[in-house]
Amino acid sequence: MYLSYARNKHAGVIELPDGNILARTVVEEDFFAARVEITVSVPGLEIVSISASIDRCFSEACHRTVAPLADVTGLRIGPGIIKLVNQTTGGTNGCPRLADLILECCEQVILRFTLDPLKQILDKQGREMIDAYKVFLSRNPRLLNSCIAFAGGSPLREGLEVEDF
Amino acid sequence: MLAFSRTKWVGVEKPAPDTYLAHGVLEDNIYGLELDVTVKTPEYKITSAAGKMRRFTTPECPRAVPVLQEAIGVCLTEANLISLVNRRIGREGCRHFANLLLECCDAILRCAFFERWAEAKKQGIDPGDYAKERLPLVPALKNTCLALKME
Repeated sequence: MYLSYARNKHAGVIELPDGNILARTVVEEDFFAARVEITVSVPGLEIVSISASIDRCFSEACHRTVAPLADVTGLRIGPGIIKLVNQTTGGTNGCPRLADLILECCEQVILRFTLDPLKQILDKQGREMIDAYKVFLSRNPRLLNSCIAFAGGSPLREGLEVEDF
Repeated sequence: MLAFSRTKWVGVEKPAPDTYLAHGVLEDNIYGLELDVTVKTPEYKITSAAGKMRRFTTPECPRAVPVLQEAIGVCLTEANLISLVNRRIGREGCRHFANLLLECCDAILRCAFFERWAEAKKQGIDPGDYAKERLPLVPALKNTCLALKME
């Protein structure tokens, strides 16, 4: 059996000397290759610059979708960003693939800030770990009910209710 | 210094004329997941989904693996596929599995659409003409972007 199609997507986050962060997502698939880079302010998490290129695509029309990407500068990585990026970049008159790459960058920025607290939690065991998760959730209430681990009934959120926030 | 890195890879095979099999891998500094998804055409319905969590963060996370079975029966052509998968597989299970499943679903639709494109391009067929001919077989992609916009 051979592969009929393959996609490789990589997203990385780099800390810049000025304290801001750069997120870059690159995708290579059979008939499409592109990259998006965003610079994000810290701690405001505002997209302060964006650059993108489409290196391989299906139609010449695809290249026309790169210019409107500037519309995402000024957006803050937070609630509502998915809808706003899809509205400005994706849709019938845009490129949902570029919108997806921007959102991948945003997701990695969030995960980058989740990594350090998680490392501290994962160094603990048993009851200590559960208690550390409760503190983590009380600081990140958006995660309550976001997955099976943080759903009602999970020992990791024992005693924490959405109404508490 | 690279402060965070995530790689997603999806490969699609066609083990039978009416079957697509996607294998997806997600690896980042926190999570390591794998997924196998089978989709039957012409309905583009998920007929099997199996996942493996190699690396995760909480003792509760592995409970998300059986939740993947909730993907069976989902059609890739559903207008609200993203929110459906995020709710059914993400919120009820693991949102990173949902992310990888959506990546696999998208890869299958792209595979189906582009299946004849390399050959058509060699023959000098215009992308617009190819899209007109191919989109009826993959209607979920119609009008999803500027290149696939049909009047």
